[in-house]
Amino acid sequence: MSSIYQRLISLLLIVFPGTAISEDWYRWRGPHLDGISTETRLNCDWKNDQAKLAWKAQVGTGFSSVVVKDKRAFTLGHVDDQDVVYCLDVDDGNQQWKFGYPAELGDRDFEGGPTSTPTIDDDRVYVLARAGELFCFDAASGKVNWRKQVADEASVRLPGWGFSAAPLVVGEMLLLNMGESGVAIDKRTGELIWSSADRECGYATPVVVGEGASAVAIFASGKAYTGVEAKSGKQLWSERWLTSFNCNAADPIVHDGKMFLSSGYNRGAALFDMTGETPSLIWKSKEMKNQIHGCLLYKEHLYGIDGDMESGARLRCMEWSTGEVVWSVDDLHPGGLAIAGGRLILLTEPGELVVAPASPQGWTPTSRATVTGRKSWTAPVISGGRIFCRSIDGLVVCVDCRE
Amino acid sequence: MRRRTFIAGTAAATALVSAPKIRAASKDKKYRTALIGSGWWGMNILREALAAGQTSVVALCDVDQDRLEIAAEEVNDLSGDSPRTYADYRELFEKEDVEIAIIATPDHWHALNTLAAIEAGAHVFIEKPTGHTIGESQAILAASRASDRIIQVGLHRRIGPHHVSGMKFLKDGGAGDVGMVRMFVHSRGGIENPSKNSDPPENLDWEMYCGPAPLRPYCRQIHPGGFRHYLDFANGTLGDWGVHWLDQMLWWCDQQSPKTVYSTGGRPVRGEAILTESEQTSDAPDSQIATYEFENFTATWEHRRFAGQGPEQTSIGCYFFGDKGTFHIGWRDGWTFYPADSKQQIIHQDSQLQEPDGHNMQLLWADFLHSIETGKQPTANIEIGHQATTASLLGMLSLKLGRSVRWDGEKEQVIGDDEANRLLKREYRAPWTYPAIG
Repeated sequence: MSSIYQRLISLLLIVFPGTAISEDWYRWRGPHLDGISTETRLNCDWKNDQAKLAWKAQVGTGFSSVVVKDKRAFTLGHVDDQDVVYCLDVDDGNQQWKFGYPAELGDRDFEGGPTSTPTIDDDRVYVLARAGELFCFDAASGKVNWRKQVADEASVRLPGWGFSAAPLVVGEMLLLNMGESGVAIDKRTGELIWSSADRECGYATPVVVGEGASAVAIFASGKAYTGVEAKSGKQLWSERWLTSFNCNAADPIVHDGKMFLSSGYNRGAALFDMTGETPSLIWKSKEMKNQIHGCLLYKEHLYGIDGDMESGARLRCMEWSTGEVVWSVDDLHPGGLAIAGGRLILLTEPGELVVAPASPQGWTPTSRATVTGRKSWTAPVISGGRIFCRSIDGLVVCVDCRE
Repeated sequence: MRRRTFIAGTAAATALVSAPKIRAASKDKKYRTALIGSGWWGMNILREALAAGQTSVVALCDVDQDRLEIAAEEVNDLSGDSPRTYADYRELFEKEDVEIAIIATPDHWHALNTLAAIEAGAHVFIEKPTGHTIGESQAILAASRASDRIIQVGLHRRIGPHHVSGMKFLKDGGAGDVGMVRMFVHSRGGIENPSKNSDPPENLDWEMYCGPAPLRPYCRQIHPGGFRHYLDFANGTLGDWGVHWLDQMLWWCDQQSPKTVYSTGGRPVRGEAILTESEQTSDAPDSQIATYEFENFTATWEHRRFAGQGPEQTSIGCYFFGDKGTFHIGWRDGWTFYPADSKQQIIHQDSQLQEPDGHNMQLLWADFLHSIETGKQPTANIEIGHQATTASLLGMLSLKLGRSVRWDGEKEQVIGDDEANRLLKREYRAPWTYPAIG
């Protein structure tokens, strides 16, 4: 049955295709895999710098971000010699279930704890542990459907800081950033479909371009970004991308036939033309060095965190086509960044949320509020009118921005 | 001595900070330059060299092929030069005609690299310290005296604007008669858990990395970027930061030699050093105090890699205590004079540093080029670098011995202590041989 009302809704969706009232942020970098929420009705007009904090929860040390589906929020944290998967009720933060598995804190050069983000697919949640074990949970109950030590099965080594990428669901497969150019797993059974050479992987989550049989998956290794045939793992091209400590952590951004890469430790960024058989350099720049956070591409501009976090990073806006820095703010202490409804939503390192228009015109904050109040390096997540913020020591704060 | 005001202090400083001028006529000259050790700091130096416009990078050398490749790409991006890359500095000096060599390897390589560079006829920009043991530094000093080559040591705090103005303030009597000096660097930290040893990465020639030092198992904490806290390769915080702040103190006292040096310290917080077949920790002290007795004053070094800044106003630098007050020369926080009479005004001058790493290499490089052109001694010449290095290594020597040493600054020998004198040198691992002095 097609009512006028339904047709009106359809018409609105045509006119405003990129907007939503509420959407599940069910995977790393969100449903659209770009770190940008299409939710527009967020009330961030905080009075006296006080946001409405719906609830707080403690999840232990780590950098895992939050994913949300069907009123459940999932994240990871390290508590008492275990890494723990938490399922929290988005309304009140109450724990619906949790599951711990033995893990080292692994605090070499940082606070340690899990660094990957869970992925929700239908009624299942996938978690990749730092040591290479992959878990498939029933999202509602927390029951373990299956678990596999993928690193052992695929005979690939652990990178220096452990596996960090979120699993990516592509059709019936799960793509994992392990080995030289990825590993593919049957998402139903956990069976290994294909794997790659035993080389150190990077820390970025795989990115898929195209669909079906011709889909190409791009994996960051310690030394390159490599495009493979998603269905077979066959290497198609590899762009050598050396970084100190083999730390390629920012997801590549593919847009308009071009690919943007960036790493920290003074590596910098580059844009490649992808219309040929192999990437061809368009520009490169030292002015955007994404150490752990990928940029967000919004209206032909990149918004990102430049520089190494411990030595003081900068928030920057860079023009996609030219690599020119449009603006740069040096004293913000950015901790993580999201975009929703045309606004930059910045979680600062000291745990403050700051909102400003996402615009090449400059950084002009409209509101701010202390949320975690603690050292925070994880990008905020927007879902259902709520902003989920997480500190390194494991405080999750749900900011209620529903109108 | 009249009381200085903030304004007077600043004006005096401004007059001093103008960069050394280079004769315009020589600007066309491009020096064929090689960098040995193309890691983070080596590339910082090379970038300054390129920015000064008189460098043509002909060669890079590193035992890490990845570092070499990243560095070569960056040089090409910055200058269009396509440097040849080498894994062995001996091959580099054999095949290349090098006019300037930059030495930025870990400390245990400094002497052999620098001696080869001088032998090849190059002017040398050497990172501090000028040796891993005092004898190595003496060998470099002797070789440089025997040649007409310019040696600049990377003591950029000799030329940094707030250091120059601060030293003038001190030497003009701003703090009055100084009777005590305290040098310090403090940071945060805690227990150190051992890291697993592993096969070296395929891009790293670990045997060559260790070179004349013992061939210890590889672990990721050492390379890249961690060698300073492994005593096989460096001398911890005193052998790193200590060289800079000891040099400030030696600058102020006109390069006197300490009479007696005593140091104590250890790893009470990080824990006992571990080195087994399967795992290891670093082994440099997490805290250390060294006392240097001079003719008319005593200076102390103190570092702590735990507890952070605490109640102090600063966590790094050098206090000069005089009868008129306390003068602090720091890093990013510039210099500050705290009058003994609390009714008097505090005098302060900001630092003027190059970011992101907060140094003054641009000025030091310009000074180096000026010396090459004029034949005049550079600001941080090898004598200066050698004395600061020697002071830091005497502290380490006393720490290892567990007793104080009396130092003959003329002969550069420990007085009446054969065991201590043996520590002026170290055993080299074959096939490397310890450099002959002079």
